[in-house]
Amino acid sequence: MKKSNNTFYKTFFLIGAFLLMTSTLFAQKVVRYDLYVKDTIVNFTGKEKRAIAVNGQIPMPTLTFTEGDTAEIHVHNQLKESTSLHWHGLYLPNKEDGVPFLTQMPIEPNTTHIYRFPIIQNGTHWYHSHSGLQEQIGMYGSMILKKREDDPSYRKGIDDLPSVPIILSEWTDYNPENVHRMLHNATDWFAIKKGTTQSYAEAIKAGHFKTKLTNEWKRMLAMDVSDVYYDKFLINGTSESQLSQFKAGDKVRLQISNGGASSYFWLTYAGGKLTVVANDGNDVEPVEVDRLIIGVSETYDVIVTIPAENTSYEFLATPEDRTKSASIYIGEGIKQLVSPLPKLKYFEGMKMMNGMMNMDGTMNDMGMNMSLQKMDMNTVMYPEITGSPLTPKGGTTKGTMDHSDNSPGNTEMVTLNYTMLKSPTKTTLPEDAPIRELKFDLTGNMNRYVWSMDNKVLSESDKILIKKGEIVRITLFNNSMMRHPMHLHGHDFRVINGQGDYAPLKNVLDIMPMETNVIEFEANLEGDWFFHCHILYHMMAGMNRVFSYENQAPNPLLPNKAWAYKKLQSESNQWHFMVQNDFASNGNDGELMLQNTRWSFGTEWRLGYNDMHGYEAETHIGRYIGRNQWFMPFVGFDWRYRSMGMDEQEINLFGQTNKKDLRSALSLGFMYTLPMLVNFQAEMYHDGIVRLSLMREDIPISKRVRAAFMVNTDKEYMVGLNYIAGKNFGLRTHYDSDMGFGVGLTLMY
Amino acid sequence: MIVLLSLTSCNAQIKNAKTENVKIYGNCEMCESTIENAGNIKKVASVDWNKDTKMATLIYDSSKTNSDEILKRIALAGYDSDNFLAPDDVYAKLAECCQYDRVNKTAIVKTEAIEDHTMHQSEMVDEKVEIKQDEHPLKAVFDTYFILKDALVASNGTLASAKAKDLLTAIDAVKMEKLTSDAHTVWMKVMKGLALNAGHIEGTKDISLQRTHFITLSDPMYQLLKASKQETPIYYQHCPMANNGKGANWLSKESNIKNPYYGAQMLTCGSTLETIE
Repeated sequence: MKKSNNTFYKTFFLIGAFLLMTSTLFAQKVVRYDLYVKDTIVNFTGKEKRAIAVNGQIPMPTLTFTEGDTAEIHVHNQLKESTSLHWHGLYLPNKEDGVPFLTQMPIEPNTTHIYRFPIIQNGTHWYHSHSGLQEQIGMYGSMILKKREDDPSYRKGIDDLPSVPIILSEWTDYNPENVHRMLHNATDWFAIKKGTTQSYAEAIKAGHFKTKLTNEWKRMLAMDVSDVYYDKFLINGTSESQLSQFKAGDKVRLQISNGGASSYFWLTYAGGKLTVVANDGNDVEPVEVDRLIIGVSETYDVIVTIPAENTSYEFLATPEDRTKSASIYIGEGIKQLVSPLPKLKYFEGMKMMNGMMNMDGTMNDMGMNMSLQKMDMNTVMYPEITGSPLTPKGGTTKGTMDHSDNSPGNTEMVTLNYTMLKSPTKTTLPEDAPIRELKFDLTGNMNRYVWSMDNKVLSESDKILIKKGEIVRITLFNNSMMRHPMHLHGHDFRVINGQGDYAPLKNVLDIMPMETNVIEFEANLEGDWFFHCHILYHMMAGMNRVFSYENQAPNPLLPNKAWAYKKLQSESNQWHFMVQNDFASNGNDGELMLQNTRWSFGTEWRLGYNDMHGYEAETHIGRYIGRNQWFMPFVGFDWRYRSMGMDEQEINLFGQTNKKDLRSALSLGFMYTLPMLVNFQAEMYHDGIVRLSLMREDIPISKRVRAAFMVNTDKEYMVGLNYIAGKNFGLRTHYDSDMGFGVGLTLMY
Repeated sequence: MIVLLSLTSCNAQIKNAKTENVKIYGNCEMCESTIENAGNIKKVASVDWNKDTKMATLIYDSSKTNSDEILKRIALAGYDSDNFLAPDDVYAKLAECCQYDRVNKTAIVKTEAIEDHTMHQSEMVDEKVEIKQDEHPLKAVFDTYFILKDALVASNGTLASAKAKDLLTAIDAVKMEKLTSDAHTVWMKVMKGLALNAGHIEGTKDISLQRTHFITLSDPMYQLLKASKQETPIYYQHCPMANNGKGANWLSKESNIKNPYYGAQMLTCGSTLETIE
């Protein structure tokens, strides 16, 4: 195959030279880029923050190659930390794939690494750092592989249009490491910032009290379509820009990559329909739509037309949570806007989620009835489709007399889904090749932000061995509450979408909750290839696997693969630290926790200001069991000191007395999350004393007010209210049976 | 004088104040309040628009915002300026008195009218089902069923109720003597059920109740269709979500899915089980 290709090129080269044409078009040209990766300070929001710039810019420079070129990219790491670059969607030798500890060693500070590989495909792709969370703070850029004009698949009227690379992304002022830590501690600070707390007060106001109650009964936290609050959304690094080089009647091909770390984007255009012509770098039959959603790390090529003179038309990228947006105006002159997407109807979404979620925390399996984005359950939340939200009395919230406002919604709008993608050429795989069937359940746990496959994170999984030449067919069922853009390195897979022999080729598959999709690819490129959720924080939580070819040649860049795999595994099972303390008028209440996917080390303390109130600390080391992690057995150690006076003794509900003022006790016990998210804790100490308790600390009363209670068999109880004033502090008032009434300031990290 | 005072008081709140005079197109006092509300942000931006001159004074904190941001917000509320054109659907929703002349808008050469729903529905109301003698004796029943189904797709309870009434009329008018013996047998079996469910749908305007009855209406309708000859293919379709996850079926003349059990909420949810020809 390769040889015949070479002779083909050679013949062409000769003819080309003979005709005195430029030989660059046909020769094996080496295209070199030098990339200098450097720390920088950016100001997207009025605050100066750290980011990473490459050649002084965010996004990273667009790299352009033509099919047949050889890419040579020199990466000069001028950071104080290691880095890497992954060429997303490219077929290349495994050692050039850019995943530290899987295909190469990290590029250490003040060193240069050279990536060199032939460009053997065309299309819209992108590149990004695969180290830690660097992608969130600037390390993403477009990578455009041009089709040769003599390519048999060259499409007149599409491939010859002027094209513009577009890379979408988002910015948060918070350090992404901190974002990651906060997500694991189930912070609701992002929900407060977005206005999506979905508290009881808001539920009652919206006429959805019962919905909220059912939701908590099923042990779910407030649902959202995305996890992180972002300050800005960006198109090519800015939220407003213009392409004034285009005029009325022009057709423009936008080569769009979603380089966001965790945001899906809706794409809409003020100048009419969008014509989708390629997806993930592979051509598709043109299809006209009103809008489409681009998953994290997907790419779409879309043609837009400029309909009128002296007007530029807004191309709008709206993140799925619709908190903000980014615009680019195409054309010259006055800016024609497109309607922004209205706010989501969260309680409708909650109601839907209640219907889909079983009491044991699994989702209904709809089989192949739900697949390929065609049944978007989130649609119940979209006012532009399902009409504006109804007040409990049944009128619309807007008091207009206009009847069109009462319309049941728009049933004419065409939204792209995967069944509409059709390859222009046959994509069938060799018929006689053996087929390897694999099945993965995508699993997750929002409460502790654990994301996994078959309830195993990468650190609990071995590499999956595949053989060169076989067809790997993967059935994916999303049994979690979030959608996941699953990305395979080094290969394109066919999406079985009803287009038969013309099934589209992709390298990222967005899979919505409850969906089942089937993908297949030919194992034809040796190496260790990552297969993971491309939401950065899900990947870092362990939602990854590695496909490894059996009997592959050793990778010269990675001499000790077994050791490296352990490093890779530990990167996505990090320890997360949290601490909080309430400095109250009646004492200090606080806790400190260190947790990873399964283990938890926690200490709680209550320190009074005098001996009678006493001082106590409880330490638990536990392991979360099961998919939902509702059950955590633990060993504990309690210490307390107090002096209660001669006559006073404590007798618990079981008639056991506890006489000691100074007590140190070892214990065994467990914690279990009951419906309504109440924690039930049972603990037995080495001296035979038993203690049972019920508690919950985060009952969402209103947007920022949380109620708490605790009651136990030592006849102790506590009730409290906490007002969340900021990311790291709150105001708390509580009544404690030991220490009485108190008010205080809570600091949390 | 009062205007001046209020302006200075606004001014006092806005730091790094910068003032600009810009044109904003609009008509009346209602426009004025919409424009100003859309543009104003406490302590950051204040807009004062004059309906006679169409000129607006923008005062804003130049360290926090700019005139483009203010004008974009105003355009998104429906009002053109020299920098921005409002989205067409937002402009169309302005009150009649506010429908100002859009002088800045350049005509688009090709016409691509946005489909109007109210029009759609009124067309559906006008659609009369004529019963011709030589036609299939059950044609009116099937046709009214499809129109009823479309009303449910459009989530229009009032229309569905009216169409259910038409269906009842059509059921009463069926000339049984003209049915083939196969069709006759089925008709005798399903007639009662059809009438009962159509009656239930007519009797309420609650779309969710109507949909429940439409499930039990569609089953006998399917049997009836199977037993009689069709000129055009009919599609028997299934939504796995409807009926509390138990799934439900319906009949349609179109092969592409338009779900009567959810309407726009999940318009394309479902699949074709069988094509009846």
